[in-house]
Amino acid sequence: MTNLSQQPSPSFPGRLLRRSSRRYLRQHPLLILLSILGVAVGVSVVVGIDLANSSARTAFQLSTETVAGRATHALVAGDGPIDDDIYQEVRVGLGVRQAAPILEGYARVSDPTGPVVQLLGIDPLADGDFRSFAGGPGGGLDLGGFMGGSSSVLMAPATASRFGLEIGSSFFLWVDGRAKEVTLLDMLDPSDDLEATGLDNLIVMDISVAQAVMDAPGQLSRIDLRLPLPIDVENMTALVEDRLPENVELRRAEARSSTLDQMTEAFSLNLTAMSLLALVVGMFLIYNTMTFSVVQRRSLMGRLRALGVTRREIFWLVLSEALLIGGIGAIIGVLGGVALGRVLVGLVTQTINDLYFVVRIRDLDLSYWALAKGLLLGIGSTLLSTIPPAREATRAAVSTVLRRSENESRISAMLPRLNWSGLGLAVLGGLLLWGSGTNIAVSYVGILAIILAGACWTPALVLLGSRLLRPVLGGVFGIIGRMAASGIGQSLSRSAVAVAALTIAVSATTGVGVMVESFRTTVDTWLTYSLEADVYISPPGTVFRRNDSTITPEAEAVIRSADGVISSFSVRTANVVVDNEPTDLIVTEPRPSALEPGRYKAIADYDHREAMRSRDVVMVSEPYSYRHGTRVGDELLIVTANGPIRFEVGAIYHDYASDLGAVQMTRSRYDIHFNDPFVSGLAVYVAPSDSVETVVEQLREATTSVQGLNIRSNRDLRQASLEVFDRTFTVTTVLRLLAILVAFVGVLTALMSLQLERRRELAVLRANGMTPVQVRRTVTLQTVSMGLIAGILSIPMGLVLSWLLIFVINQRSFGWTLQFIIDPMILGQAVLLALLAALLASVYPTWSMSRANAADALRAE
Amino acid sequence: MSPLLHVSGLRKSYTEGDATREVLKGISCEIMQGELIVLLGRSGSGKSTFLNMISGMDAPSSGSIQFDQTELTALSDTERTLFRRHAIGIIFQSFNLIPTLTVAENVLLPIELAGAGSKEDRDTALKVLEEVGLADRHESFPDRLSGGEQQRVAIARALAHEPRLILADEPTGNLDAKTADLVMDILERLVHDDNRTMLIATHDRDIIRLADRVFLLQEGHLTETSKADALARS
Repeated sequence: MTNLSQQPSPSFPGRLLRRSSRRYLRQHPLLILLSILGVAVGVSVVVGIDLANSSARTAFQLSTETVAGRATHALVAGDGPIDDDIYQEVRVGLGVRQAAPILEGYARVSDPTGPVVQLLGIDPLADGDFRSFAGGPGGGLDLGGFMGGSSSVLMAPATASRFGLEIGSSFFLWVDGRAKEVTLLDMLDPSDDLEATGLDNLIVMDISVAQAVMDAPGQLSRIDLRLPLPIDVENMTALVEDRLPENVELRRAEARSSTLDQMTEAFSLNLTAMSLLALVVGMFLIYNTMTFSVVQRRSLMGRLRALGVTRREIFWLVLSEALLIGGIGAIIGVLGGVALGRVLVGLVTQTINDLYFVVRIRDLDLSYWALAKGLLLGIGSTLLSTIPPAREATRAAVSTVLRRSENESRISAMLPRLNWSGLGLAVLGGLLLWGSGTNIAVSYVGILAIILAGACWTPALVLLGSRLLRPVLGGVFGIIGRMAASGIGQSLSRSAVAVAALTIAVSATTGVGVMVESFRTTVDTWLTYSLEADVYISPPGTVFRRNDSTITPEAEAVIRSADGVISSFSVRTANVVVDNEPTDLIVTEPRPSALEPGRYKAIADYDHREAMRSRDVVMVSEPYSYRHGTRVGDELLIVTANGPIRFEVGAIYHDYASDLGAVQMTRSRYDIHFNDPFVSGLAVYVAPSDSVETVVEQLREATTSVQGLNIRSNRDLRQASLEVFDRTFTVTTVLRLLAILVAFVGVLTALMSLQLERRRELAVLRANGMTPVQVRRTVTLQTVSMGLIAGILSIPMGLVLSWLLIFVINQRSFGWTLQFIIDPMILGQAVLLALLAALLASVYPTWSMSRANAADALRAE
Repeated sequence: MSPLLHVSGLRKSYTEGDATREVLKGISCEIMQGELIVLLGRSGSGKSTFLNMISGMDAPSSGSIQFDQTELTALSDTERTLFRRHAIGIIFQSFNLIPTLTVAENVLLPIELAGAGSKEDRDTALKVLEEVGLADRHESFPDRLSGGEQQRVAIARALAHEPRLILADEPTGNLDAKTADLVMDILERLVHDDNRTMLIATHDRDIIRLADRVFLLQEGHLTETSKADALARS
């Protein structure tokens, strides 16, 4: 008999234990359904955002790769377009046979506000080695028609069908406000689905047609090369250095797609972080449900322990229940995520198109990895949040039948430890935020630690809140009010979790709300001093914040000499290579008015404005300075038409137009170093005696026949800018709402478990003469009080979060300095939101408890 | 013949705030195979604590509990649980059936926990239920049974895996006289026909009459007393 204690100790519960567990879950369908819903919504949000982000990335990569074809390298000019003479030199002079000229750009189809398509100009005779879709020699393409026709274009059948075009159809392509009629000669022939996706938004034409459509005579975007062997690359590098102009350089083909990937990195990461918030709130919900199920079954678990069930079996039993809930929730969540992703992808694409580059997403990129990640995240977070209740379950005493009050007394005894844990987490969060440098992911972990610190302090604060509310509610509602307030403190193990979940969701809303409002106010202020002129003119661009289109010299002359225009200055946006990276270069003419000192973050100790005109001095935007660690006095190597030249940084200026950063140069220096006489925009001052609106109308009439231009008054441009700003935060708003939905489900679950536990107490009250109306009032008062406590707690928590979002996350993601604006309305909304969520969540439990049969409840005990 | 259970110098104390309360003050006893021992004592005298120590549900502050060759006090919590699972059957005053399992499943549970659970084991469970007169209720859930029926299921559960020692804490305490008689008949059959070893904490005179020996737990000390004395006290 010595081996009685040495039987193998099974970790997983047996068949009967699992059956018992399943029956328990079936007896509480609503609670389990709500938990599944909580996990499902959390997972949906994460999967939805992940799919939207990855779909945008994949669509862009596919389109880039399809356009790049089999090219391994490309010759580009650091200062803008490349001259097509260079192509001749490469092909004939250098003897490189596998080279193809490319002119790329964007156009709007049919009208100046129509959908944006990508244009690709190629030489079909040279292109066969690079891209198969355009046919090439030996393919089915009518080369004569393609090269000979002055307006022939090709597109994929799906693209043609989207625009309602057939072979032979003519339509207009609008570039920089100028229209060019083209004819659909033939359809592209994608070799597979992947290529079809890559071609989805592409119009292909002969290089000469592209130069005509884009008004870029003699210009190329790049020259594609095939250099499969390292020795080829070495030879080519040497040839470029020896034989080609200084502004031409050799780049790897994939460099372009990775550069553009980096552009949206911070944007994508912030969306992912926001989406994880919903999952964190969902974890509180699971924790609450599983704690409830454990507390309710403590005596049952004690009995099982008495019968010889080990702690480990109990632990796995609870965990297996969570696995079931998490598994079902995660599966539903992944399916919901796909549906949500279809909605979010539109919003994400819109933002990318507004801020970064043109991308069109035909369909969601349903990668198995993204779906598996969602499943793992859902199940993992469920299991993680179940570990504390599962451990609690293993501590069920075998020799006594515990009641919840003993659990409550233990929670009360744990308060000091919880408070210290909160302090520890807050310190840890602070250290992570302080020590994470520019790492945004670690910064978010720091913020999560601070959120959890708040959750640890919640029980003590809930207890304090219930004590403060007791006399107030007692004074107004008598015994019912006192009971409602005391009930919160007495059922701390339930109420604190519900309040914590609601507080986190509402404070996140408040935090993001304050951040967005602060951001908006900062941008508004910046627009006020940046937009000094009365009227702004630019060609219709494809990306709102990065307009490098050009105004024709004719239109420029008409505008500058128009009646009512007393002065004007131009802006040119170009993409040049600065310190080996493609960078936006903003070229400005001197402005008539003095610039506000608040425009600058840092300036040199000399007159930088004068220096920018007289020598090679530039300014960099705050995000550029942050991304590259650039300071006043540093030097930047800018590739100009005259080769690379060093420019000194004379100032760092505030700029909220682009998080990618920009370099600013005066027109006089630009004209010396670049062969580009064009302007991208004009700012016009109107004589005080004239009405701005009248001048705008006159300018529109005067330029209509020359070039289609966006001519907007200061007020209209400012409004349009803020509209784009608001649009970029639409996804954030959707995510905030979803986090609140999860929190609402959490509160509902918590309230239901609370009321289920109070069945007997309420039955005794009913037996002693309490009416259903009084029961309803007690329950409602209690839940509304919990909402009030959550709302009040969410204010300081929300302000801390907003401060961190503004001064840590925003700063580290984009390098912007924002003002910290606290709008009392947002704080008031937080309290109202928490109250409303609690009130709504109380409807069903209140109704259910007031209808419950007192005799049944008493008998059930 | 060596005893099945040998308890020596068993002490158990609880800390309540700054004070320490000693419930068991050095108890020693021996129980032989096939004996029916009745444990008497007032409410709060430590009877349940004593049973908890023997079953391994709780660990003593000091002393020794030797079950056959196994020293329980040297075992970890998990080892004590595994020991209990195989060697002990427990009958509680408040039945403590698992509400989410049927009657048959409740009886089958200790068998399954002991590592079995086949079709034959299910037949065994039904046979034990038949012995307690509840074979026809095997598909019912505990909440559909009367108190007496629940206690009979609890007895069946305690017997199903054929434990070497059955512990019962006031097995008739929650039953009316008629139902208690029925439970008594079963216990009597178990002891005299099946030669089971039982330790029963009870005040029930009928059970005392069945006992081979009676122990009295008083102020933390255990003494053996006569049945006549025990009947006079109960």
